[in-house]
Amino acid sequence: MTRGSGRRLRGGGPIVDRWALLAIPLIAFLVAFFLVPLIVVSLRSVADFPKPTDDVFANYGRFFDSAANLRVLANTFWVAALSTVVCLTLGYPYAYLMNIVRPRVAGLLLIAVLLPFWSSLLVRTYAWQVILRDTGIINTFLLDWGLITEPIPLIRTTLGVMLGMSQVLLPFMVLPIYAVMRRIDPEYTKAAANLGAPPFAAFRRVFLPLSLPGVLAGSLLVFVLALGFYITPALLGSPKDTMISQFIANAVQQRLDWGIGSTMAVILMGLTLVVLFVASRFIRLRDVFGSLEES
Amino acid sequence: MTSRLRLSVLVAVGALLVTACGGGASPSPTAAPPESAAPATVEPTAPPAADICTAPPKAPAGTTLTFASYGGAYQEAQRKGWLEPYAALTGVTFQESEDSSNATIKAQVEAGQVTWDIVDVGNDFGLDANAALLEPLDYSKIHKDEILDGFAGTYRVADITYGVVLAYNTEKMGGQVPQGWADFFDTTKYPGKRGMWDYSAGGIFEFALLADGVAPADLYPLDLDRATRKLDTIKDDLVFWTSGAESQDLIGKGEVTMTMIWNGRGYSAKHIDNKPVEIQWNQQIVTADYLVVPKGTPNKDLAMDFIAWATCKENNAAPSDYIPYGPTNKLATANPDKVAELSVTNADANSAYFNDAWIVENAQLLEDTYQEWRTK
Repeated sequence: MTRGSGRRLRGGGPIVDRWALLAIPLIAFLVAFFLVPLIVVSLRSVADFPKPTDDVFANYGRFFDSAANLRVLANTFWVAALSTVVCLTLGYPYAYLMNIVRPRVAGLLLIAVLLPFWSSLLVRTYAWQVILRDTGIINTFLLDWGLITEPIPLIRTTLGVMLGMSQVLLPFMVLPIYAVMRRIDPEYTKAAANLGAPPFAAFRRVFLPLSLPGVLAGSLLVFVLALGFYITPALLGSPKDTMISQFIANAVQQRLDWGIGSTMAVILMGLTLVVLFVASRFIRLRDVFGSLEES
Repeated sequence: MTSRLRLSVLVAVGALLVTACGGGASPSPTAAPPESAAPATVEPTAPPAADICTAPPKAPAGTTLTFASYGGAYQEAQRKGWLEPYAALTGVTFQESEDSSNATIKAQVEAGQVTWDIVDVGNDFGLDANAALLEPLDYSKIHKDEILDGFAGTYRVADITYGVVLAYNTEKMGGQVPQGWADFFDTTKYPGKRGMWDYSAGGIFEFALLADGVAPADLYPLDLDRATRKLDTIKDDLVFWTSGAESQDLIGKGEVTMTMIWNGRGYSAKHIDNKPVEIQWNQQIVTADYLVVPKGTPNKDLAMDFIAWATCKENNAAPSDYIPYGPTNKLATANPDKVAELSVTNADANSAYFNDAWIVENAQLLEDTYQEWRTK
């Protein structure tokens, strides 16, 4: 498993490997169920109006006319950024720990971080409600023991949203970082130590920079995934934690206003692409999506 | 790194992506509310076939009708009260969907692939605004003159009535009984949090105005400025729920001391969950769910037969054996055990009715006003 052989396989010589034909079903699937709907949604945003109009950008006008839309759009990116910071703060040390323990223990740690995925998102979120609310486990315990007289606001706060979201998103941070850390030759840090670097300096000047591709990859994954959340913020947050996907669902499901729903979706996607573009100035996106295969 | 571990990381990431991307299912509101203050015009109709109520026409062998409603105890009551007896009488086989959604109807009709034949929908759907999506109902079969005034329209007929009511947790009231929505907004006299449905057209504005002294008959057009000013007074005490199950849980546990709730959920909190919950019927909003037929279904005539049968006086009240939702046929007799728990039984001069036509006409305004207020 040298890097060279990996690259050659993926790089593709002049001959198309016949095995590549196996990708055709997936490509067909993506075109039919992703690309085509994407085009339809984009067209709807400039062609589907509740009232007849000549202005193809009427839906965009409606969107930007509403202060609530802009507020919620900004909040969506704020919550996504906050989730990323929380996941990184929790996830980096965790991945580091996985990297230095024996493989068997690393496997257990891996299972631990994946455990939440064995239950559905909705069940997990309701479980958080049971734990966090005013009549929930934590507050009941503290009240019964006389440690507090009024319930602590845990649910319907941004803290609640962060708990719920980071539990879901943490693996997307931990796994890419871990995969990159595995690739860092332990000899580098040893060499740094040999040359007189104290442990922290060796970490900061050698290990940390080498692990940065994983950090960026994980952060990007978490950020982009977090942009699409809305059930968790709706159930654990306050109205101020509303995210744009909830507005999209409202428009599509309750008001049947698919034009404005499509418009919001296109705006969210456009801004997400902007984030990816900006990110691509700093990292190679291939590292993000290829960081796991060569480990 | 061992190859096994490496493989497991890869598999795990793949599984995660799938899970995360598929995790967006919406907790759909269990029952949406309905129409009402529409003028009570009873058009003269041809006398319906005399026997459709007791001997509906047999369906051709192998006929399957798809019935979509909101699932849970509600759909089970419809199944036992209507679908099973009707299947026995006519030989039709019912398929069911438990996630009635206006968006699905729209998607099916626009794609020309209509697989739902009969759909139970909320009060904000099925008016002329949705004419492109629905078949006009066949009132040569349906006994329109027997349906509650204002609850039978061109494209929809109400199948059950229910109330959007105030429910309170008796253990948190200090021995007092809240008398209506003014008390709901009085957090000095009745401390504690308040539950509201997180939906602009679900009653939140109406209840704020009732609390502020507006008479039920004068609600529409809604004075949204006045309503939001009233809502501001308890904004920090509001807890927004997104499903019927959530409202039932919030009031049962005492997480909120009072809540807006659909009366069937209030009933379940008290009688199924055995929680200290009571309903205050004063100033309820009486509303309904409706049956509609998506445009283009190949089983249109059979769907009309079923709707006519289910709204007959003999059959319409059958679900009330299982759930406290009342009939819409004025001549139908509800289960005596449930009569006291029905919205229609408790309706009086203080009861309000949604003006569905106004609500649909002003849906965008309602939503914008609501979100502007809520997210600020």
